[in-house]
Amino acid sequence: MTKAGNKSCINLKLKVWRQKGPDVKGRFETYKARDVSTNMSFLEMLDVVNEEMILSGKDPIAFDHDCREGICGACGTMVNGRAHGPEKGTTLCQLHMRHFSNGDTVIIEPWRSRAFKVVKDLVLDRSVFDKIIQAGGYISVNTGGAPDGNAIPVPQESAEKAMDAAACIGCGACVAACPNASAMLFVGAKVSQFTLLPQGLPEAKKRALAMIGKMDELGFGNCTNETECEKECPKEISIENIARMNREFLKAGLS
Amino acid sequence: MQWGLNWFICTLRSSIGKKLIMALTGLGFCIFLIAHLAGNLTICAGEDAFNSYSERLHALGPLVILTEIGLLFFAVTHVFIGAYLFYENFRARPEKYLIKKNAGGRTIGSVTMPYTGLFILLFIVLHLVDFHFVEKTDQTIYQIVLETFSNPGYAFFYIVSMIIVAIHVSHGFWSAFQTLGVSNSGYMSLFRVMGIVISLAVGFGFGLLPIYISFIS
Amino acid sequence: MQLDSKIPDGPLSEKWDRHRFELKLVNPANKTKSKIIVVGTGLAGASASATLAELGYEVMTFCIQDSPRRAHSIAAQGGINAAKNYQNDGDSIWRLFYDTIKGGDFRSREANVYRLAQISNNIIDQCVAQGVPFAREYGGQLANRSFGGAQVSRTFYARGQTGQQLLLGAYGSLSRQIAAGKVRLFTRREMLDLVVIDGKARGIIARNLVSGELEKHAADAVVLASGGYGNAFYLSTNAMGSNISAAFASYRKGASFANPCFVQIHPTCIPVHGTYQSKLTLMSESLRNDGRVWVPRSPEDRRPPDQIPETERDYYLEEKYPRFGNLVPRDVASRRAKVQCDMGKGVGDTRLAVYLDLKDAIEKDGRDVIARKYGNLFEMYEKITAQDPYETPMMIYPAVHYTMGGLWVDYNLMSTIPGLFVLGEANFSDHGANRLGASALMQGLADGYFIIPYSIGDYLAKSSHDTAREDHSAFNESSLQVETRIKKLLSIGGKRTVDDFHRELGHILWENCGMTRKEKDLKKAKKLIADLRAEFWENVLVGGTGKGFNQSLEKAGRVADFLQFGELMVMDALERKESCGCHFNEDFQTDEHEALRDDENFCHVSAWEYRGEGSKPKFHKEPLEFENVELTQRSYK
Ligand SMILES: Cc1cc2nc3c(=O)[nH]c(=O)nc-3n(C[C@H](O)[C@H](O)[C@H](O)COP(=O)(O)OP(=O)(O)OC[C@H]3O[C@@H](n4cnc5c(N)ncnc54)[C@H](O)[C@@H]3O)c2cc1C
Ligand code: HEM
Ligand code: SF4
Ligand code: FES
Repeated sequence: MTKAGNKSCINLKLKVWRQKGPDVKGRFETYKARDVSTNMSFLEMLDVVNEEMILSGKDPIAFDHDCREGICGACGTMVNGRAHGPEKGTTLCQLHMRHFSNGDTVIIEPWRSRAFKVVKDLVLDRSVFDKIIQAGGYISVNTGGAPDGNAIPVPQESAEKAMDAAACIGCGACVAACPNASAMLFVGAKVSQFTLLPQGLPEAKKRALAMIGKMDELGFGNCTNETECEKECPKEISIENIARMNREFLKAGLS
Repeated sequence: MQWGLNWFICTLRSSIGKKLIMALTGLGFCIFLIAHLAGNLTICAGEDAFNSYSERLHALGPLVILTEIGLLFFAVTHVFIGAYLFYENFRARPEKYLIKKNAGGRTIGSVTMPYTGLFILLFIVLHLVDFHFVEKTDQTIYQIVLETFSNPGYAFFYIVSMIIVAIHVSHGFWSAFQTLGVSNSGYMSLFRVMGIVISLAVGFGFGLLPIYISFIS
Repeated sequence: MQLDSKIPDGPLSEKWDRHRFELKLVNPANKTKSKIIVVGTGLAGASASATLAELGYEVMTFCIQDSPRRAHSIAAQGGINAAKNYQNDGDSIWRLFYDTIKGGDFRSREANVYRLAQISNNIIDQCVAQGVPFAREYGGQLANRSFGGAQVSRTFYARGQTGQQLLLGAYGSLSRQIAAGKVRLFTRREMLDLVVIDGKARGIIARNLVSGELEKHAADAVVLASGGYGNAFYLSTNAMGSNISAAFASYRKGASFANPCFVQIHPTCIPVHGTYQSKLTLMSESLRNDGRVWVPRSPEDRRPPDQIPETERDYYLEEKYPRFGNLVPRDVASRRAKVQCDMGKGVGDTRLAVYLDLKDAIEKDGRDVIARKYGNLFEMYEKITAQDPYETPMMIYPAVHYTMGGLWVDYNLMSTIPGLFVLGEANFSDHGANRLGASALMQGLADGYFIIPYSIGDYLAKSSHDTAREDHSAFNESSLQVETRIKKLLSIGGKRTVDDFHRELGHILWENCGMTRKEKDLKKAKKLIADLRAEFWENVLVGGTGKGFNQSLEKAGRVADFLQFGELMVMDALERKESCGCHFNEDFQTDEHEALRDDENFCHVSAWEYRGEGSKPKFHKEPLEFENVELTQRSYK
């Protein structure tokens, strides 16, 4: 293994948010990460730090992760003030240490929002997102009895746009990055997906109102069109979807 | 929630509804600003033109009053809802970040909306006191304008205010269309450009008035 | 114990219909009184939970993640098969059935596979109705691609995120039932034991991963959809949390485990680059449609790829398999890569990689066409490796990807414990010794949407038992056992971390029970694993407490199970003295080094029955009968 000083190996100072539980006050702790290979992913770097901590009898840093390939949406923290770190269109698990330099201080904080409670350290309770989906983020069909898949043609362009919106991984970076901790991008993406598809139209009005109502109830902030969400979203979901949801809201009210 | 029962209440309760009201009132102000600017620019055509513009405007009588009441209503709505949204947004993140960097979405306009708004409110009050509720029996509006702007302090305040209005509108204009649901990205970039154009027009148009006036007087 | 597969009589194509008619129905009023536990929210678990709730059952659904939407089904890229024949290219239910049976190297049940092919079409209809944004043609019709070497275009896809979109569809349906109060959702819960009362599955013990509390949940039946066990190898394309614990706890309670040694190793993954590495990333095998696989001819050749002239490159797949070339099935492609690397011809720093070169395709079709097809894959590759695949050939190496083995189930998806049903990757049912691309998603959804709703009804209608109660002594016993084990893990206080043990186990399995196997190595591995397991229970360092959130403790439990399971896997590999599909035993190969099946002696499912700690599990055979297809030797020459 190469040692620090080499281009492919760096030393870092980590400033990490530690919080024992939801109702306990948290604070920053400083750790050293030595001989970090620049080929490591950010989470692998944390793994190595954690293993050392376990061996020296300390409580390892808790963080959420699962797929480690940018699709499950489990991972995500603020890294030096940026959601999922500085790279565009990248989840934290896909962020690699080659984007850091020897001697850097890296500040790691959980997403902060009234609607997301800290479970421990960097781990959050994001069940509010599930609640929003439960309010109407689906098409109401029971299993069985669906017509042939080709019975309803869907224009290719609509299908592509619906797919753009459906690519959301529910990570919460949009809320984290939003100066108002608003969930409009997440909700807009889901509302959009279904308004773009003919299958979703019968329930469009009900869905938009129900999901927006739930979102408001859960304590997210209000959108002020800062567009930070779009810039930080690892799946680069467009704010076009927010506008589309706004229009659905208007339509629902006026019809 | 009882959607549909009372659409207005529901709209007021919902975040997007409040935003819609902000957008509509804000756009109302934008239209007013443009009209107001067009009127004010008659000053360049000389004293008589300006005074007669003012007279003809006031000759419209009830229409002016109606517009004024409308604007006042818009202003109260815009200010109160804006303040409430600001409060809610503040509450939405009880624990702040140690550091938070701009990812490239925010602009000076968007960051400062509540503050520029507050400043505009202050300006509007002073502005009305100076030009609207001022005693107009023994002097023409032209004279009042000339006199007020001859105070360099006031002229400075006015220019700063206009820059601030421009900043507010630079975000507000396109933002209102986003809120109203224009999702076509082609149109959206058009509105972004228009927002900048309008804010420049407002900034320069109003802001240069005191300078122009100090030249001619 | 008798393994009764309960395959219905009658002609193959009528079995399922006939069976559905013969299954007993539950009276609607009784459905609301029946409680069902579903463990897992992947394609299998989410679709089952939603459908059972729609039918009126009271469902309790569990998952490890903070949200059901994060189950590892979300990561599937390529697509889902169905015999729609929309392309009019000669596909049919029969062809999908035949391809799947043959792909599985004739080690799966005809009846199951045929049913899967039949249901495949309903799945697509269902998912379209849910708003899954499948790729479309200009005319608005569903688009297909050919996948995994199939000769027809039958794979439906949503860009490179098919699993995600299908799962979000099922998650939507699940969410709707949660909102309706028909499903109670338990997230961040790990099932640690199955509770069996009077020989029937009646509940689970789950650990609340946030509070650390052990919870008892009783029900009338338990549905297990907890995914595959690829993580036994430490490095795999599975998610970090994928585990065998739920299935293994059931095994310990009497559910037989079938074909544990059948593990699929996917040929096109990003190679390992360091000891700290935590997981391997799959590059869709569609890349092999346009890419050419090669290594330098000489092991001494250390030049960068662009300096190696055409004549000094070994396009070993094209040379060896002129008919299929780079498109040979997964198991063959994987093994050939290993052979090249074993000869010292591997490339990259670790020399455990081969080139996958798209240069010719870029030259032929132009960069734009290639970018449209593979742009997102190239980006992903570049993110991880910092190399630009447009400029320099990608490096790939095989990685553990999917596990065909799983808990043994009959035609009704019921395990050897009455009342315990197993769905999705967690069961062994449909893929034999090798799974074809785009058929796991199909199987998970077939199980959850279209099979379990019928078969569980039959079980509930026929079995009479009292309502389930959490205060039954069996729950206390189970809970106590789990608690004791957790305490034990925490109290060892040794010198090695959990990950350290897991890495070593992975290494042993990969080297000895991976792409190629030998009797000698397997025996060695068995011993190594036993030793490692013994060391684990004396020298592991978990840290923290059992109260509250403790990720190290979670892992410790899973690795403890993997250690025990690893032995079973090796035992199964030893028992199967033939080569078939992914199980390639070097002692059984043709003169041309291809897998040599022994249909005379090994045309069966191996099922292992637990017989207590320390005793060898009991081996059972379920003979496989082929009445409709002829057993042939796979050949891709
Ligand atoms: C990278 C990748 C790409 C793939 N691509 C394709 C493809 O293109 N086409 C295809 O057909 N197949 C593909 N597969 C295979 C396919 O995705 C899986 O086999 C399938 O999705 C498994 O679904 P499942 O529902 O059985 O399990 P999973 O989706 O793995 O879900 C398991 C669930 O069980 C829960 N769980 C596990 N253990 C416990 C426990 N102890 N207690 C409580 N809950 C528990 C988890 O929380 C999770 O909710 C791919 C697989 C991988 C890894
Ligand atoms: C010349 C006067 C004004 C004009 C032309 C104007 C215009 C606008 C416009 C167009 C918007 C955008 C609405 C949207 O995003 O949908 C806006 C937002 C806002 N305005 Fe004003 N405004 C004016 C005065 C004020 C005043 C006096 C205040 C407060 C004291 C104020 C506070 C705000 C705030 C806080 C917002 C942001 C609200 C949000 O986006 O949620 N504005 N304004
Ligand atoms: S919209 Fe983007 S940032 Fe927000 S949850 Fe979805 S993927 Fe994450
Ligand atoms: S761990 Fe799944 S997206 Fe990062």
